[in-house]
Amino acid sequence: MESHDGAWSLKEVQKLEGHTDRVWSVAWNPAAGVAGVPAMLASCSGDKTVRVWEQNPSSSSWFCKAVLDETHTRTVRSCAWSPSGKLLATGSFDATTAIWENVGGDFECVSTLEGHENEVKSVCWNASGSLLATCGRDRSVWIWEVLPGNEFECASVLQGHTQDVKMVQWHPTMDILFSCSYDNTIKIWAEDGDDDWHCVQTLSEANGDDLTIKVWETDSAKMMSGDGYVPWSHVCTLSGYHDRTIFSVHWSREGIIASGAADDAIRFFVESKDGSVDGPSYKMILRNEKAHDMDVNSVRWSHGENRFLASASDDGTVKIWELVPVI
Amino acid sequence: MRKGSSSTASPSNGREGKAPSDRSTDVRPEPADTSSDILDSSLDLEEAHFREGYSDGHRHGVAAGREEGRQVGLKTGFETGEEVGLYRGCVGVRGSAIRADPTRYSARVQKSVRTMEALLDGHPTTEPEDELVQEMVGDLRLKSRAVRASLGAKLENRGYLKGVDNEDVEF
Repeated sequence: MESHDGAWSLKEVQKLEGHTDRVWSVAWNPAAGVAGVPAMLASCSGDKTVRVWEQNPSSSSWFCKAVLDETHTRTVRSCAWSPSGKLLATGSFDATTAIWENVGGDFECVSTLEGHENEVKSVCWNASGSLLATCGRDRSVWIWEVLPGNEFECASVLQGHTQDVKMVQWHPTMDILFSCSYDNTIKIWAEDGDDDWHCVQTLSEANGDDLTIKVWETDSAKMMSGDGYVPWSHVCTLSGYHDRTIFSVHWSREGIIASGAADDAIRFFVESKDGSVDGPSYKMILRNEKAHDMDVNSVRWSHGENRFLASASDDGTVKIWELVPVI
Repeated sequence: MRKGSSSTASPSNGREGKAPSDRSTDVRPEPADTSSDILDSSLDLEEAHFREGYSDGHRHGVAAGREEGRQVGLKTGFETGEEVGLYRGCVGVRGSAIRADPTRYSARVQKSVRTMEALLDGHPTTEPEDELVQEMVGDLRLKSRAVRASLGAKLENRGYLKGVDNEDVEF
């Protein structure tokens, strides 16, 4: 990243209102906002609906393009676009995951995945869009394979966590799945041939408090060369910056970490290059204190070349921001 | 003169002096050369009562334990048997359906059903507390959930013991 050593500021681009309960999560459509396709964002809420927002190319302002309702019967907790941008997965407390297809601007629920015994907490597509992972309060992680005709088959049910699984996330380039749980561990899952998924590593840093950000690394060149699994190790902890629970972190393409917390603030961190410490270290470049009126549940960078960020809050709104360097 | 006795009781009556107060003792004249028997039979008596009480308790305990164990065993065995039986039934039906029309089911579902068949055939189910059996049932349970999710099937039979008031359950 071209370093800008000066100050930064967070500009509020627009506040998206419409949800009638807290907004849990936002997701940028990866196929939109490029090549003339207007930018698109999904948000999901305690009001049991999902809203799809689109940016008007001429006015640059955002409007609500669709409300996906009458499907989930409880809070929608998580939403994720497939890499092609054609499908949207939504995970709900009603124990189902719905798959929506964008059919010429209309969103249609084309499949409902059942299997979890109770609340689904997180959904995530792998890099190629061939697999979808879901996890929930029943302590299990499910891997679904996408088949032609929007058919989904359960490839594996992964057990191992001893408490609620809060989130699942795929590695950006390899089919390795990360899951994190209230049991204070992160588990890493990989496939050993046909549908044979198992836990290849468990990360447990027992000084668990929810006021720190931890950074882990592996030798990914070595992993990708197929030499077998290379374990992840903990390299850095960012502490002292948050005094309320951190609910969300996201890394931008340039390496800027954004965090959203229970103190209604959004913070930004970059790697500090002072080189005096073993391993990477980070410094905070900006704290936007009253980003929302209530807890910030989710922060997500857009996929494009810009520095746009979306945030979701207990205050029922989604905000679009731009991080700009102050010359 | 008593042999080996430290008692100062009079020789005619065992109830005087230092005989144990909560034991009944026969009131009879003691023959002079069985004087040590007064204490010995008291000690024996305590042990006799102890042994009698112990064997009574043991006998009752064994009987009660057996009956309770029988109930627990029936319940556990029934639960395991019922669950394994459910999987056998599902696998039987699905196996037949696959053989009748293999194109109807995906390769993955067919493989899962075959794996479940192998699990069921491979392990005995006569020892429900055996760890291997527990593991097998666990594997079957997971595979079954995955297959059901893939086929969009729902489990309606929640088992005899679930959703039933425990007092009404009889074996």
